[in-house]
Amino acid sequence: MKRTLLAACILMLATQFAYAADSGTTIKTDNLRAEPYQDAKNLTTLNKGSQVSILKIQGGWLQIQSGKTKGWIRMLSVRRDAARSKVTSASSLSKLAAGRSGTGKIVATTGIRGLNEEELKAAHYDAAQVAQVESYASSKSAAQQFALKGKLVAQRVDYLPAAGGEK
Amino acid sequence: MNKFFMSLLVCGLSINSAYAFDFQQELKNAQSLGQELKAKRDAVQAPLKASGLTGYSESEEIAIGRQIAGNLLGAAPLVKDAALQKYVNNIGRWVASQSERPDLPWHFGVIDSNDLNAFSAPGGYIFVTRGLYKLLKDEAELAGVLGHEIGHVIRKHHLKLLQQGNVLQMGSDALSKQAGGNEQIGKLIGSGAEIVARSLDKDAEYEADRIGVVLAARAGYDAYGLPQVLQEIGHTAANDDSVALLFKTHPLPEARLSQLGDVMDSRFDGLKGQTLAKRLVKIK
Repeated sequence: MKRTLLAACILMLATQFAYAADSGTTIKTDNLRAEPYQDAKNLTTLNKGSQVSILKIQGGWLQIQSGKTKGWIRMLSVRRDAARSKVTSASSLSKLAAGRSGTGKIVATTGIRGLNEEELKAAHYDAAQVAQVESYASSKSAAQQFALKGKLVAQRVDYLPAAGGEK
Repeated sequence: MNKFFMSLLVCGLSINSAYAFDFQQELKNAQSLGQELKAKRDAVQAPLKASGLTGYSESEEIAIGRQIAGNLLGAAPLVKDAALQKYVNNIGRWVASQSERPDLPWHFGVIDSNDLNAFSAPGGYIFVTRGLYKLLKDEAELAGVLGHEIGHVIRKHHLKLLQQGNVLQMGSDALSKQAGGNEQIGKLIGSGAEIVARSLDKDAEYEADRIGVVLAARAGYDAYGLPQVLQEIGHTAANDDSVALLFKTHPLPEARLSQLGDVMDSRFDGLKGQTLAKRLVKIK
């Protein structure tokens, strides 16, 4: 019990650390803005391939530091690259906590380790599992109630055109 | 010339749709009266071929999806956590309700695999692996992932794949083996859940990504949930077993993010979606 708690704490710390230390590279030339809005003041333009430190995520925007300048840039203009090592270490910690890595100390709780084509091809219909998944179904109205509880409000949003213009 | 072809096509379609109705009936008959199937073979064969051209009825689509779902669950069963499964169904159904097929009998599940992946089958059966679920940081990310899979279902991507590849074969040899109802579908979908390991056209994946962000935004979530998950998946080493199937069947996360970036641009700036990190049910 205590050990689980400890592992959870380490995991939380590791995750937080990974977040704070995230860095990235711009994958296209984009403006760095004073606020996370399209028409906010333009602080500078970052060329494709610029190294940035990621401070915060908000909606589709990242607050970043580039050199001495701090500002906001579109999330999808940045690839979070240096996070790789840190995030990986956090996720291997979580693997450890879940018994996924082969340390032998913790027994895996699940039998399935990876889905490959052969396994999928060889799979047999499991009627009991189908009945089970169907028993968990949520009705449209129940789902709506659950959405209301989370204060989710339906919005009108059009479908997006394909990149490059074709439908 | 074109017009002539068109009218020929329309003519062909209308004849075929009449056949497709028969097919449904035949399918029912075949299920209850398997042994009589041989006698009906000739009558059934033509409509089966025809249905490849006109599409399946909704009940056929659901029957096909159910079989695929059952086979997939045979490889990776549901995580034994009713609260988690009900939660995922609430989110999924709410997101699906924002689509043009809100009344399909939608089903969602978290399956016991450490892979990072999600699957959909025709008719509204959608599964997320335990491994992928564990990566999620908030409900908006879950909504985005489910939205991508819902996109495959509403645009019938897998159904189209089945139609392209198998239906003629099904007409000619499935029935000659006196297959019963479910085995008929089995013939159509191939062995087990192999269909979910097949790659869709990469444009179908990009389309599902675009639908995923839109459906999540319509449902009131932060539209950037799916891109966040893709970023996270992109951090997994390409040679990691957990992403082998995902990377084999999908464009790489980087390409998907770049496509999404181009089309999302400033379109979601005015929306204040929720992330609901606190409500995300943790997986045990």
